[in-house]
Amino acid sequence: MEEPFDCIIVGGGIAGLSAAMTLARGGARFLLIERGEFCGAKNVSGGVLWGTDLQRLVPGYADDPDAGFERFVNHRRLTFLDDDSAFSVDFKSTRFDEKPYGGVTVLRAVFDAWLAGKVQQAIDESPYPDESFLATDVLVEEVLMEDGRAVGIRAGDEEFRANCVLLAEGVNNLLTRQVGLENPFVDADHVAVGVKEVLRMDVDRLADRFQLCGRSGLTNEFVGAATKGVEGGGFLYTNRDSLSVGLVIGMKDLREKGGTPYDLLNHFKAHPAIRDMIQGAETVEYSAHVVSTGDIRGLPKELYGDGVLIAGEAAHLLMNAGKAIQGMDYAMRSGMLAAETVLEARKAGDFSSAMMSNYRKALDASYIMHDMRSFQDAVHLLHSEPMFSNVPNVLCDFGRQFFAVRSEPTPKALSMMHAAVKRHASYWDLVKLGIKAARAL
Amino acid sequence: MKEQPTSIAERLGLVAYRNQGRSGARAHIEVDTDICNSVCPHKCTTYVCPAKCYTLDEVGDVHFQFEDCIECGTCLYACDQGAVTWRYPHPEEGRGVNWILG
Repeated sequence: MEEPFDCIIVGGGIAGLSAAMTLARGGARFLLIERGEFCGAKNVSGGVLWGTDLQRLVPGYADDPDAGFERFVNHRRLTFLDDDSAFSVDFKSTRFDEKPYGGVTVLRAVFDAWLAGKVQQAIDESPYPDESFLATDVLVEEVLMEDGRAVGIRAGDEEFRANCVLLAEGVNNLLTRQVGLENPFVDADHVAVGVKEVLRMDVDRLADRFQLCGRSGLTNEFVGAATKGVEGGGFLYTNRDSLSVGLVIGMKDLREKGGTPYDLLNHFKAHPAIRDMIQGAETVEYSAHVVSTGDIRGLPKELYGDGVLIAGEAAHLLMNAGKAIQGMDYAMRSGMLAAETVLEARKAGDFSSAMMSNYRKALDASYIMHDMRSFQDAVHLLHSEPMFSNVPNVLCDFGRQFFAVRSEPTPKALSMMHAAVKRHASYWDLVKLGIKAARAL
Repeated sequence: MKEQPTSIAERLGLVAYRNQGRSGARAHIEVDTDICNSVCPHKCTTYVCPAKCYTLDEVGDVHFQFEDCIECGTCLYACDQGAVTWRYPHPEEGRGVNWILG
C-alpha cells in the first residue's frame, strides 16, 4: 500500500486552496480534490474578498496585472431604499489605494482558477513536487472512517488514504454531516439564498459611470425596498468590465413570505437607483447559491474531530454585521489555520482529536471568532424587520424633504425627521433600535 | 442595446451546464414528491428554488426536474419535510453547473 498523504483536502475553493498553499509551503504531502472541471467552476460569491490575507497568501499579487482579482475597493456605499428614493452613506478614500488592499472584488470561476495556479506553483517549488496534487473533476462521495477516525476518502471505486482530511466543501456540507460534526438537518434560519447576475459593460463606460480609476472599484450594498419586505439586502460591485448585481435573501423569511428569488431580483434591478446604474449593460451570467447568515448558533457542533478538520463555509464561518459580508476572508484564514494545525500534527506524528483541537484554539484566537462573537447582536439586528423596512423608509422620507427645495417656507430638519418618523415608525421603536445598534456595532 | 433578462428561462439560458449533450444524465437530487403532495404545508421549493426546478401542476402537485439545477443548495435547506435527498452531481454522468464567471 502506498504511503498515505499527510492531508486530503476536499474542495478547491478559497478555504481549500489557502490550506493547500500553506501545506505546500510547509513541505507537506497532500491531495486536494475538486469536483468541478477546474477550481472555481462550482463556486459563486457576491463578490468581495475583504481583508488583507490575500497579500500573505500570494505576496505581491496587487502589483501583478494578471492577478485573478477584479478591482480593489476604494469606494464604498451603503444605500437605503424605499420605492422611489435612495439615501446613501458614501465613503471614498485614496488611503484605500494603499497596499495591501483591504478588499478586492472577485468572480470566483476566475479568481479560484488563478489561485489554484499559484498553489500549483508552490507545489512545484516544494520539497515534494511530485507527491502533492490538485485533482479536479473528482467527486468525493465519502470520508472513510476507521474506529471513529477519518483515514481517507472514497471517490467512486477509488480510495485515497491520508493522515487527516480537511473538509472545505462549502456551505452545502454533506461530508461534514457524514462525519457527524453537523446535524443531517440544518434549519433554514441559519442560511440565506444569494442570487446574482453578472452584467458586462464596456470598461471605459464602467469607469466613467462609477468614477473608477485604473483598477479601483466601488462596492454598494442596499437595504430596504430591494427585497420587497423580505429579510435581506442587495449589492452592486464593480468588476474589471462587468458588474455583479444581486440579492441575499433570508431563507426562512422567503419561505414564510412566499417570494421567489428571480422575481425579487427583477424588482431590485427595476428600482430607479439600480436601473440607472446598470443601464446598457448586458447580463452574461445568472447564478445563485446558499450563504450562511453569520449566526454563531448555526456553526457545526465542532470544527474538528479525530483526523478531520472543517474550514470555510462548510463550518458556516461567515459574518455580515452591516459593514461587510465577510465569508471569503474567513475561508482564507480558516484554511490557513487548519493547514498550520496539519503541519503541527505532521511534525508530532499525531493526528488525534486532541491535536486537531489546536485548530479550534487558533480559530478562537483569530479575528474570525473574535468578530463573530463580538458582533452577534449586530447580526441579529440586521436581520430584524425594522432594519429592512422602517429605517430605510424613514431615511428616504427625510431625504425627500431635506433635499427638496421648494419655493415655499422650509421647515427645520428636526421637524422633517419628526414627520418622517411619524409616517413610518414610532420614536420609541427607533430609540430602542438606536440603542441596540449603538451597542451592537 | 440588449434587453435585460426578466424570465427564469432567459436567465437559465445563460448558464453553462455540464454534460449538456448527454442523454439520461444521472440525477443528483431526489425528491420524494409524495411527501410534498401529502403532508407539506407550504410546498416552498416551488417558489424558493432560484432555477425553478420545482413546479406546481394544475391540480397543485409538486414536480421536480434536476436538469436545470444550478447546485445552489436552496432546497437542501428550505425543505423541512425531509423530501429532498441532495447529492453533488457526478462529474461525468451527472448534470450540474460549470460557471464561467461565478
